[in-house]
Amino acid sequence: MQHFALTIIGRDRPGIVSQVTKILFQGGFNIADSSCSILGGQFSMILIISNPEISTKEQFSDTFGPLEEQNLSVYIRTLKPGGETRSKLNGELCMISVYGADKPGIVFQVAKELGDRNINITDLNTKLIGDKQKPVYVMMLEAMLPEDSEIEDLENWMKQLKQQLQVDISVRSLATMEL
Amino acid sequence: MAVKEVLIYPDTRLKEICAPIDNFTGSAPQILRDLVDTMVDAGHSVGIAAPQIGDLYRVAVVDVSGSKLGKKQKNHGLLQMVNPEIIETEGSQIVREGCMSVPDYTGNVTRSESIVVQFLDQKQQLQVIRCDGFEAIAIQHELDHLDGFLFLDRVSSLKTDLFRRKQK
Repeated sequence: MQHFALTIIGRDRPGIVSQVTKILFQGGFNIADSSCSILGGQFSMILIISNPEISTKEQFSDTFGPLEEQNLSVYIRTLKPGGETRSKLNGELCMISVYGADKPGIVFQVAKELGDRNINITDLNTKLIGDKQKPVYVMMLEAMLPEDSEIEDLENWMKQLKQQLQVDISVRSLATMEL
Repeated sequence: MAVKEVLIYPDTRLKEICAPIDNFTGSAPQILRDLVDTMVDAGHSVGIAAPQIGDLYRVAVVDVSGSKLGKKQKNHGLLQMVNPEIIETEGSQIVREGCMSVPDYTGNVTRSESIVVQFLDQKQQLQVIRCDGFEAIAIQHELDHLDGFLFLDRVSSLKTDLFRRKQK
């Protein structure tokens, strides 16, 4: 079945999820994976959806028109076959905390270090905290360390970055207990 | 000896409250054997509870000694537990758990750091032991199964807790 990625964003208020899912339910859509959260003052929703009756983006026509009228922005992406399935990631799941005085490039420098080493970021949250005079940037990320790397290697790479960026970085294993 | 099929949610037997074993020799040895065989056969598993193989009795086995995480810590090796009960808990820790009966999903769960558990062992002897770390987590997870709780009922945070605090 054709799957689509649906992104919806707008000023946060009660009732957004209910409005969106009412349209999806009444239109015969299935929601597979989804993640929704408040970012700044905006509520953002990302959903992987499918509908046995719909195979192209054009067939949505004005399904989400009522949401646009309520000042929500709606974007639909057509997934390639298999794009709804997460590929199997092997390795060790790690948590990296990065925090310090706000400055440009924190996310990029850390992400580049990881990307260059083929470390897949599986989840990432950032937030600006503290007062306006002394803003503090906090980034939490989960990443999959490939099987040929050790957590000590990651710690060493991050140690160098810590010096360079003048931020605090800590790394720990997020081993899942399979019970 | 029998390797049993591990039940997968939404099998309703996973949500039942299990009955205590009244007549030890009648059923306990067989269930314990099946649990150990099934746990060993599952390879990565460090514990399994009777309802996971469809036996609705208060029986569970745990063995963290062969797992990457568990063997680094003090542990009791293979624990065969009949009518187990946690009688004391201390501290708390957040761990990410997965379960054979709920494939493809993991969640952050708050568990006690240290527990005292009492049970009848495979020789019908009453044991009272203190467990810490991974072994304590595994026991809490397996004993939850005996009351129809899955780790999904215990998930304490979505992603990082840090960002979920109330804005001033």
